[in-house]
Formats: sequence, structure tokens, C-alpha cells
Amino acid sequence: MIYYLLLPFLSIILVVLQISIADVLFSGRLILEISLIVVIYAGFRLDIIKGLTLAFILGFVYDCLAGSVLGLFTSIYVVIFLCSFLVSMGLSTEKMYFIALFSLFCSFLKEILVILFYNYAYGLDILKKTPLIFIPQAVLISLLAVLFFYLMHRTEGFLYGKAFPVKQRAGAGRLSSAA
Amino acid sequence: MHLRNYKNVIFVVVLLVLALILLSYNFKHETGTGLVKKIVLEAAAPVQKIFVLSVKSVSDAWLRYIFLVGLEQDNRDLKKKINELNAELVLYQEGYLESQRLKKLLSLKDSHNYHFVAAQVIAREPAALSRTIMINKGSAHGLKMGMPVIAPPGLVGRLTDVSWHASKVLLFIDESSNIDVLLQRTRTQGIIRGAGARGCILKYISKTQDVKEGEVVVSSGIGGVFPKGLLIGVVSNVDRQDAGLFLKINVTPFVDFTKLEEVLVLATEEEEKH
Repeated sequence: MIYYLLLPFLSIILVVLQISIADVLFSGRLILEISLIVVIYAGFRLDIIKGLTLAFILGFVYDCLAGSVLGLFTSIYVVIFLCSFLVSMGLSTEKMYFIALFSLFCSFLKEILVILFYNYAYGLDILKKTPLIFIPQAVLISLLAVLFFYLMHRTEGFLYGKAFPVKQRAGAGRLSSAA
Repeated sequence: MHLRNYKNVIFVVVLLVLALILLSYNFKHETGTGLVKKIVLEAAAPVQKIFVLSVKSVSDAWLRYIFLVGLEQDNRDLKKKINELNAELVLYQEGYLESQRLKKLLSLKDSHNYHFVAAQVIAREPAALSRTIMINKGSAHGLKMGMPVIAPPGLVGRLTDVSWHASKVLLFIDESSNIDVLLQRTRTQGIIRGAGARGCILKYISKTQDVKEGEVVVSSGIGGVFPKGLLIGVVSNVDRQDAGLFLKINVTPFVDFTKLEEVLVLATEEEEKH
């Protein structure tokens, strides 16, 4: 229960933190979307109730603070969580190169959905910026994802004695909502 | 398998539908600041303030050290510049007083009675899609949606989300921003549209018009959102080659949006009565 109570506050802190860090490091040119990596991690490691709630709340907070149309990132994060969850059921998600590639894919998926939405809704051609902003951003996310997953793996080891084995096909090993 | 669980499938479908309803409703109705959004903004404001203050104190200490190099020469140059500007200021003050006298003679009155609300920038949104900043004043300080925001000498944008103690400002370089403007020299009217990092684009100026690089662009006051005469930017490039009836004009904003720290919100008494 405490997970669900803390989730909105932690989501706000995470989104604010990523905005502030990106502002300092890249002067607003790139987005340091750690929240996207957290959603992918949730898809790989958490059970569906916990993970989906996280994706929904994180997306909603991001929408509120990022100035996009309310519901856009909420929907995208839910879709990305479901993709990650389904992928983790069928494939081994422990290899770092897989995490990097999948994060790259998710980042591009997010950008494509955003581009399509803005193009359809407002007729804005933000595709022009793609090579300048979206590609380095996707690469940055994939590199950060590797670091994030490694740190989380170590944290799990520190907290539980050893990292949780990932047996996604059977659903065992996931951090369940009952935990 | 998780998805075989009946409850889980219902939960997934409900949350996905909820997200899509939220998106379509907000896209269609442009609801502005709802209660939940207000609460999120309100909760984020102190966190953002703490982060910004801690980052600023570190960067300020570093910059102070860097700026000490060559400070003496800068000081001399600035003193010289101040003397020049003081002389120029006297001329402008004379012009202003003259215009006030003429206004009085012609019985012209300002259509709005503005007062300024000073606010600090507590966060910048670095998203490629929207250009917004967050300030530490809200409806508790008399701010309302749509109020213009300036950072002397130029326009910054307008308030789009107002919570109790924090507000979001949509910068006029955002792609969704359109402002009715005038070219100061020729009084030619056009529409300025945000172009993100590239500044803004001045549209609907006929090819027959005489537009030069370096011309000042000011707000026209038409539309009622922005008062007349606010400095917007300077014409940086005029392209006459493009096919079509209108010129392609790039405008560089007066305000450096990457260095905004304090802004002024122009609160109108008229708006407050509504």
C-alpha cells in the first residue's frame, strides 16, 4: 500500500529532477528522460498492477509538468510499459545489449507517437528536428538505461541479498504488488 | 502467466482506455488547469525551487570565479557604455514626456491599467515540443491564465496554467504561439509564430513591403492579450526567394530564454474584475 501512496510524490521528484539535470547539462536542448527508463524497468521487473500504475502516474505527472496535452505521455508510457511487459514474457531481458537496444526502440517509439500526434492534432511538422534532437536523445536513453539497470540490479542485491532472478515466462521473480 | 489473470486484463484495459479518454478530452476541450493538474504543479513547485537553488548556488560560485578574469577591462567598457546610454536616455525621457503631453491634449487614455507582479523562474521545460517555464507566483498573487509575461526589455510569453502558488508560462517561441505584431519602422502588421530553438518567424508580410534586417518587431496590441509596443525581437533574415505572396522573415527574440531568472507578469485590473 505504501508503494501506491509514495508513487505520486516520487514521480514528481523524478520528473523535476530529470528536468533540472537536463537544463543544467544540455541547456534545454535534450531531454534526460529517466522516467522512460523507469517505465521500461517496470515492464521488465514489476508485476502488471504495480507497473501499470507506475507508468500511468509517471506519464500523468510528466504531462502536467512538461506542458504537453494532458494524457499524451500518460498513454505513451502505458503503451511502452505494455510493450516492455510483453517482451519480457517472451525474451530474456537480462543482457545489457538487449536493454540498450530495447530502450533505443522504446525511445524511437515514443518519439514516433509524439510526432504522429502533433502532426495529426496541430499539423506541426516536428519531424524536421529528428536528426538533431531525437537521435542523440534516443542514444542517450539507451546508454542511461544500461547504467540504470546495472544500478538497480546492485540495489536489488543490496536490499534482498541477491538480485531477483528473471523468469518472466512463468511470471516468477517479479516484484509483486503483494511484496 | 500474468495476462491470463482475468482481473489483470480488466485493469490493463481500464487504464489504457482512461489514458486515451484523458488525451482525447483534453485535446478537444483545452481544459486548462484542472484541480489535479493544479495539485501536481503545486507539489512540484517547492521541489523544483530546491533543485534550482542548489544548482544555481554551485553554478554562481563557479561563474563568479570565471568572471573575475578580465573584469577590470569590462568595468571600464561598461562605464563608458553607461555614459553613452545616459545621454540617450535623456532623449527618450523627453520623447516620453512629450507623448504624455500630446496624449493629454488629444484626450487619449490607455485601454488597460497594468500593474506588474514580479516572479522568479523556478524551472524550465527542456522538451523539444513545448517551450515553457515555471514561475513561483500563482492565483494567490492575482495571476490568471492568459496574462502576458515580460522580462525587460522584451516579451516572454503568456500564462497557460495557473496554480495557487505556481504558474506555467508558454514562451512565445513555442510553435503553437501566434502574436499579432508590427514592424516598428514601417508599421507593417504581421503575425509572429514561434519556431522553437530557431527563434520565431514573421508571417503574412507581403513581398511588396520594405523589410530590412535589424528592424525591431513590437506587439500590435490587436487581440487584447498583449499590450501594444512590447519589444518582441529583431529581424535577422529576410528571404525574398521563396515562392509565394509573402516574405519569409526570421526574427531573433530580444529575450535570452536560456538565461531567464526573474520575470514580470502584467496583471490587468480589467481582467481581475471578471
